[in-house]
Amino acid sequence: MSENKLKIRDLVTIGVFAVIYFVVMFGVGMIGVIPILFLVYPTILGIVTGTIIMLFMAKVQKPWALFILGMLSPLLMFAMGHTYVLALHAVVVMLIAEMLRRVGNYKSFKYNAFSFAIFNTWICGSLMQMLWAREKYIEMSMMMGKSYVDVLEKLITYPNMALVYAGALAGGAVGACIGKMLLKKHFEKAGII
Amino acid sequence: MWTMSDNRANPNPITKFLVVGLLGFTVLHSINHYLEWWVISIISVMYFLNGLGKEGIKNLAVFGLLFFAPGFTQASQFPIIIKMFFALLFVLRMFYIPFAAGKFLIKTSDVGSIISSMDYLRIPSSVSIPVAVMFRFFPSFMEERNHIKMAMKIRGIETKNPIKYLEYVAVPLLIISSNIAEDISKAAETKCIGNPVKKTRYVRVCVKPIDFIYAFAVSAAVVGGWLCLL
Repeated sequence: MSENKLKIRDLVTIGVFAVIYFVVMFGVGMIGVIPILFLVYPTILGIVTGTIIMLFMAKVQKPWALFILGMLSPLLMFAMGHTYVLALHAVVVMLIAEMLRRVGNYKSFKYNAFSFAIFNTWICGSLMQMLWAREKYIEMSMMMGKSYVDVLEKLITYPNMALVYAGALAGGAVGACIGKMLLKKHFEKAGII
Repeated sequence: MWTMSDNRANPNPITKFLVVGLLGFTVLHSINHYLEWWVISIISVMYFLNGLGKEGIKNLAVFGLLFFAPGFTQASQFPIIIKMFFALLFVLRMFYIPFAAGKFLIKTSDVGSIISSMDYLRIPSSVSIPVAVMFRFFPSFMEERNHIKMAMKIRGIETKNPIKYLEYVAVPLLIISSNIAEDISKAAETKCIGNPVKKTRYVRVCVKPIDFIYAFAVSAAVVGGWLCLL
């Protein structure tokens, strides 16, 4: 049992991978400057960060490692001014991802890939904030003209958010596959895992 | 036990974190516009008290810009591209108040005081160690990324293909980072970080009058702001 507990080495690995994940996330987040691309951001993030998280999952095959890693970015974003919605949403998502990983005994690629696809949906929380603050946003957008507000009202809806979630899951699955490919091609050869 | 308590005008990170959390509610539940200015002014005054006058002025100027820009009534006649730009301004405007408090938290809190605060709150080491490592590793990570970019330039490797770029940069970066992680864990083990005993910290976290002033001034503005809109 004690073998399965997180040791200093694992905690340090979590910190290091959290930095890599956060920097990449921030880099990819630059596409959000064009507002429409905000909707495909979770998909792209999943594709790009798949390798990072799959490598992490291969390195640390212990309970709660993914949960802690996954909670660091939302907490950092919370400290940078995002709402509590993002943090609460992330707790739920990370718990599901952690449970999925547990089902696969932390080693199975299939379950790790599923787990990453779920993990990747945490970023949808930042868009959910927009959905819950919809009234305020629309009120502020009133001065842009009725046609603009009509388009906006059609865009920020629950069905569209469902599409964003689906995109995040698909992006996560693709990212996991790319991750697996790169792990085989480079990291196993380099003796990293 | 030798400890150092930080600047008197600097609230402890716990207070600053709570204030960010409270201001996060203003995104979903608006407060009165005058009180929004009040909150921004408090944050600017805090910057001034901590010797970051420039940041204080920048904070006021950016909020002023975001506050008045969306009032541009002719926006409806502009083409869609400009409208998109305004849409971005609205999003920034919505999140600016908690963001300003978050920026103040990050700019004025050093790693020592953050770690001490986490100890004070009895946050388990499974969270405090990764957070400490994040602060320690961040500069090394940026340095390594620049080294890889320079190495690519020296070898004449240039690619516009994003997938190739991902492979060329991400793979060496992840390998180097994994090795650094090993080094940090060895250093941590050597320093007995894993030893579950009470640690002595250089920076002592305590509650000072400024904590009450900062928390009270912001809370009063937020609660008052909601009551005004009822």
